[in-house]
Amino acid sequence: MKNAINKVRNIGISAHIDSGKTTLTERILFFTKRIHAIHDVKGKDGVGATMDSMDLEKERGITIASAATYCEWLGHKINIIDTPGHVDFTIEVERSLRVLDGAILVLCAVGGVQSQSITVDQQMKRYNVPCIAFINKCDRSGANPFRVIDQLKEKLGHNTVTLQIPIGLEADLEGVADLVSMKALYFDGANGEDVRIEDIPQDLLEEAFRRREDLIDAASMFSDQLTEAVLEEKEVTQDMILSAVRTGTLSRRLTPVFMGSAYKNKGVQPLLDAVTKLLPCPYDVKNEALDMDNGETPIILSAEPDKPLVALAFKLEEGKYGQLTYIRVYQGSLSKGDTIINVRNGKKIKVGRVVRMHADQMEDIETIPSGYIGALFGIDCASGDTFLSRGLNLAMTSMFVPEPVISLSIVPKDNTSQINMSKALNRFSKEDPTFRTYVDDETKETIIEGMGELHLEVYVERMRREYTAEVATGKPRVAYRETITRRSEFDYIHKKQTGGAGQYGRVAGYMEPVTATELIFENKIVGGRIPTQFIASCEKGFRQCMQKGPKMEFPVTGIKVVINDGASHAVDSSEMAFMAAARGAFREGYFKAGPVIHEPIMKVVVETPSEFQGSVMGLLNQRRGIIVGSQDEGPMCVVEARIPLAEMFGFSTVLRSATQGKAQFTMELGSYKQVPNSIAEELLKKAETQKKGKSS
Amino acid sequence: MIKKELVLQNPLRFIGDKTEDILPEGGFGAVLARAGVGKTALLVQLALHTLLKGKYVLHISLDDPVNKISLWYKEVFRHLTQSYDAKKRSKLWEDLLPYRFIMTFKVEGFSVPKLEERLTDLKEQNIFFPQMVLIDGFNFNESARTSLSEFKSLAQNHSLHVWFSVKTHRHETHGPDGMPASLLDVSDLFDVVIQLRPEGKKIHVITLKGGPADPGPALFLDPATMLVKDTI
Repeated sequence: MKNAINKVRNIGISAHIDSGKTTLTERILFFTKRIHAIHDVKGKDGVGATMDSMDLEKERGITIASAATYCEWLGHKINIIDTPGHVDFTIEVERSLRVLDGAILVLCAVGGVQSQSITVDQQMKRYNVPCIAFINKCDRSGANPFRVIDQLKEKLGHNTVTLQIPIGLEADLEGVADLVSMKALYFDGANGEDVRIEDIPQDLLEEAFRRREDLIDAASMFSDQLTEAVLEEKEVTQDMILSAVRTGTLSRRLTPVFMGSAYKNKGVQPLLDAVTKLLPCPYDVKNEALDMDNGETPIILSAEPDKPLVALAFKLEEGKYGQLTYIRVYQGSLSKGDTIINVRNGKKIKVGRVVRMHADQMEDIETIPSGYIGALFGIDCASGDTFLSRGLNLAMTSMFVPEPVISLSIVPKDNTSQINMSKALNRFSKEDPTFRTYVDDETKETIIEGMGELHLEVYVERMRREYTAEVATGKPRVAYRETITRRSEFDYIHKKQTGGAGQYGRVAGYMEPVTATELIFENKIVGGRIPTQFIASCEKGFRQCMQKGPKMEFPVTGIKVVINDGASHAVDSSEMAFMAAARGAFREGYFKAGPVIHEPIMKVVVETPSEFQGSVMGLLNQRRGIIVGSQDEGPMCVVEARIPLAEMFGFSTVLRSATQGKAQFTMELGSYKQVPNSIAEELLKKAETQKKGKSS
Repeated sequence: MIKKELVLQNPLRFIGDKTEDILPEGGFGAVLARAGVGKTALLVQLALHTLLKGKYVLHISLDDPVNKISLWYKEVFRHLTQSYDAKKRSKLWEDLLPYRFIMTFKVEGFSVPKLEERLTDLKEQNIFFPQMVLIDGFNFNESARTSLSEFKSLAQNHSLHVWFSVKTHRHETHGPDGMPASLLDVSDLFDVVIQLRPEGKKIHVITLKGGPADPGPALFLDPATMLVKDTI
């Protein structure tokens, strides 16, 4: 079994838009005989291009956009896992990256390292994913792979080693020279399927030897055997070099660089060889799970298939026959007929059909052993759920989900859209726990909540594209919060004796600010001043007030309520009465406790060409923000700022127009801070007009 | 309140002469030490004490990214205010942040005209008006004199107090006044030169040039917190 796992590769292909990820993936599937014809992304000519692309879309729907596509190369089983293309950091991206053991970082030989390459590289760094680089589009005019290698070093801080040099460049690209075997590789046949191996052309020999020296130099850092061979001037074998490069790659201290042109079918097969020789198998990677019984402390999983099961559902796909759940097994194995437990809700699930996805079909299998990827049918779960054998209590991802900071109302344009919208919302909220949806009690509008304007825009766009649900969106609203700044006392009597049964309850105590977000309720009543059976009602009353603050109707956070006195009436006291008394007491204490409004402050990072850095800083400065600093990185400059979310609406448009579309920005929640008084007054006025509007 | 106390307790006041700022306007100061002894920590303390007085500080680093510099500030601030209430500390930190600006450059990409362009940008757009500039990682090589002279006029034009960190080496020759070789040619441009000298478990803060006529108590850098102390 161990041997079999040694031959498994779970890889992702990460790339900047337009650097040829789709073409490369398609060529990989072609050379591994998963698809039998190559389609061009852009269609052949104007005639029928739309049709072509629609067909292609259909085909890609199964082959490329599948969450995990399986193929084989030189006896190795390769799972290509789709890494989401959008830049903003969401939980979905995190989950996809967790499943990868290694990755191919595709770069464009002309465009080089661009801002999105930086983002995907950072993500890989964060999850410690070893990678090899492929410099694509060497056939394009202006291609300069060595400039890209320099950028990889300078901009991304990779310790690169060049394993190939191009034979010819731009339109003259003929093939690549392999610096390990010191052979030239040419790609013959209609689709470059026949690899012809020859001697390296004379005019390239000197450069090839020089770069091979550099390669051996860099690789020898990771192998004593290689260093010894070099020092003692013994023969340096290919295996020595490859095993040293592999050691460096696995620890992310070395990035081997390959090159070619996927479009022209040059250099893809050697890249596949490299995937099998240099990227890790599931055994090489240390996978951690969080021990839920032990305060989420990380523990290391063993890849042994006979241990208890730990598996992660990393992607859901809506298929013809229902929900398909993609699973990676990290420990133990998952077989048909097993009973497994979903750790999120503790539900037991009986495993029905277990399948493996091929490019254009699926195959029923009996078992998914550890290290493998497969899919389950008909399992009701959310993406990111962990499945376990009985007796374990582990989670692959933290159960902590940040609270959304922004909301938006959406209204479907017609009936069909209405139906499709609810389908879409149901699916999205299953996929991404930071995306939430509910219907506003008062306005009856559907509200979606998320982590930023872009985050919600992506989902609205996906509703349109994937579900043909046309929706009109309202203005984005910031998730403000209310809290108190000082301790205050309350003593409130709720008394009602007009007709019917009376109501009586007195609640007294104090409230004070705390750092915890949830309400902390403490009961210090002695001598039965409030009968025990009504204490829960008091707590309920206080909790109700936390949902909609008395000041501006925003959720209230950071309050501790202590009740230490009260009174009841033998006949008129009831649960209802004490709930109402608690609500009254909360309001009484709240207004005395210096209530303030807090707003989300975002960490904003703008990456811009240096010539625009002045105007970018100007833009950030206009937005009540603090610029933390600017980082000069040669032609590019990174500006970091902390800005209230309320000021960031529409920033992407403004930024694009100020920088000719050359700047990009990312944004994540930094902290919650008090709103300045002037802004708070404005908000208060707005809330009052809204209230008046509602009541009239 | 904390602000006032911290300003009054600041041991760095013993380095300054009568003026509170240690350096005159347009003046240069240098912090000398071998790698890893605490140059950045001392620069950050100089910056924090200036921030506490409500003055604007521009921190330029030629080695480290913005995040790392921010972390230095957070750490030194944490140690400096350890004895105070957490809420007050975090309020003070928030108050200080708008007065600080971090700029990082690649060593080879840094030049005085470029910095001047950036400064003008910041000032013209009313973003930031630095009063103190710290430069960490400046290359004191043979051609440093030219850039430093340019810098001097920039500092004078913008009325800046400028502090440099200077990395010294174990085997470097020293001038008669203890000035290291890298600084010998340009020492006339500097008003104050402070050296961090590790001896045994202590790191002494020694004023090589400038400083008050009547030197105060001896200063040390506490190796645990990297804070300057007048008693240890």
